[in-house]
Amino acid sequence: MSNAHPTPQVTRPPTAKSATAVNDELLSSLNAPTRSWYALVALLSAAVAWGLIAFGWQVTHGMYVTGINRPVMWGFYITGFVFWVGLSHSGTMVSSILRLSRANWRRPILRSAEAMTVFCIAVAGLFPLIHLGRNWIFFYMIPYPNQRGLWPNFRSPLLWDMTAITAYIIGSSLFLYLGMLPDLALVRDRSHGWRRDVYALLAMGWRGSAHEWAVYHKASTLMAALIIPVAVSVHSIVAWDFAVTVVPGWHSTIFPPYFVIGAILSGVAAVITLMIVIRRAFRLEEYLTALHFDNMGKILLVISLLWSYAYFVEVQTTWYAHEPIEWEVFSFMADRYSWQLAVMLIGNSLLPIFTMCFKRLRRCIPVLLAVTMLVNVGMFIERFLIIVPSLSHKNMPFAWGSYSPSWVEISVNVAALAGFSLLFTLFAKFFPIVAVTDVRELEARKAQVPLGRAELPSLAVED
Amino acid sequence: METIGIFADVESAGRAVTGLVKAGFVEAQITSLTSVAYPDGVLVKVEQRSWFRWVALAGAAVGAVAGFCLAAGTAWLYPVRTGDKPIIALFPTGIVTFEITMLFAIIGTMVGMFLEMRLVSRRPRLYDPAIAEGCIGISVSFYLPGEVVVCRRGDADEECIGAIANLSAREQRERAEGIMGQAGALRTITE
Repeated sequence: MSNAHPTPQVTRPPTAKSATAVNDELLSSLNAPTRSWYALVALLSAAVAWGLIAFGWQVTHGMYVTGINRPVMWGFYITGFVFWVGLSHSGTMVSSILRLSRANWRRPILRSAEAMTVFCIAVAGLFPLIHLGRNWIFFYMIPYPNQRGLWPNFRSPLLWDMTAITAYIIGSSLFLYLGMLPDLALVRDRSHGWRRDVYALLAMGWRGSAHEWAVYHKASTLMAALIIPVAVSVHSIVAWDFAVTVVPGWHSTIFPPYFVIGAILSGVAAVITLMIVIRRAFRLEEYLTALHFDNMGKILLVISLLWSYAYFVEVQTTWYAHEPIEWEVFSFMADRYSWQLAVMLIGNSLLPIFTMCFKRLRRCIPVLLAVTMLVNVGMFIERFLIIVPSLSHKNMPFAWGSYSPSWVEISVNVAALAGFSLLFTLFAKFFPIVAVTDVRELEARKAQVPLGRAELPSLAVED
Repeated sequence: METIGIFADVESAGRAVTGLVKAGFVEAQITSLTSVAYPDGVLVKVEQRSWFRWVALAGAAVGAVAGFCLAAGTAWLYPVRTGDKPIIALFPTGIVTFEITMLFAIIGTMVGMFLEMRLVSRRPRLYDPAIAEGCIGISVSFYLPGEVVVCRRGDADEECIGAIANLSAREQRERAEGIMGQAGALRTITE
């Protein structure tokens, strides 16, 4: 009789799929477009075209076709600008933080979050240009020696915005491209004809050598660390557009962190909404699982709590000090925009906090979809309520006024939403919408390890 | 000259690398080609030091100077006199300098990464599309007899040259193909 113990056998998980099967499933979004895809693109293009017509109407007739007038000189366009900058904030932030913390569940989420950032910031960047008035001379803002003898005044927050948004668009586009590099090589190897040539050009000759992977991972980590302060600075600068003025309701030290928190809230909600849409559209139920929604729901809960705290602090300080003109802005907002205020508080605070406390609701897709969409409706209203009431009731009561958006402004804002959706739809058709190599890397590192009487899943990791 | 052996799984690829090292090839001659990243040492060992961060740092330094010159330098060249405000305002200069610094650091990271990876090669390099479908490629580069392959800090002389380097490149290739075939290579391709 022998006392020798059998060696524990490490095995591949029983559900493990071949690399080809995973490639086929995750790259199914690149298959030939269906009729419904064409219909969606046509619908979104029509909405964008309508927005362009409305913008053309504004260019040919002048700014009077918008609802903005003294004293409310910032309206739906700047609301849209702040809203879209906020949305752009979280995609890269979520991706970077999860990369740096090496959270393995991040992998199927990264690509759509990073793409969302790029398209949101591109849409956001259009709004100040649309709002300019004489849009055709927008290049006056660009600093270059010219015969006009003029130079942009860098003391203007508009120039800070332009610098920050330019840095963020380039930075987040490079971050998206960096994350896609191995996937582009993978798509190159599976495609033919002109598409192969395009992907080969974008893949830059990537072969996946051990040296390339080692440098790639270090570069990804460094990029993630570099992009976070840029993302925070962009929304802080947008907050300074308001906070460095002496307009009641705006001149507040809490504005930059409050804006950043609000931006992360709307961005996280948008990432979840996109995850739900992508999961349904490309049949990715196996890769975007309940765990992913559960974890994102927890993040939404935390950020919603932080937003509620920041909003409470802002209102409580004003209420306690009761400085007349500051309080007048709040009173006017609560009186004139009471239902909008209610939707904002329910959408950004009460509803996400209540629902995301419960695991069952965090894992319920219809509930998540409703909550995250309402969060972003609430965030758009929040941006509106920051801008319009403060401008309506400034320091001089004889110059008080109000604002209602015109059809032109509403059309341009709807077109912005359609434009974002169109860009995302096209992106998902031409590029892998899920980080294939990231997901496959996780699969390759999984194993079943016997422990006692059980066989448990384990993951090979590096220090 | 380079030869790639294509393997169906990590285990056989790992066996091939072990066989190659035992036969006298040095680690610096061997690399893996994979469509997913494996932890260091699973297939091959790679040099852990990298220099692309210096390019990122240089980018940041250039960005800091460019940002400062853009905000402060041009304000000095094209003064906009507004009340009693200073011509060069510290707060806006700080913001613009920060943004341009970060932008150039990010661009420097990308440029440095591509340079260190030696990508954007004009000459097509040896590759097999089966790697995208989960196969593992083990690539061996051959050098002229006696030629120093590469010396890393702390490497002994024989590790730099490799016992195999006494053979001609053709003999090295034949030996490598034989070892990879024994380890279970599906096929080998040679440049």
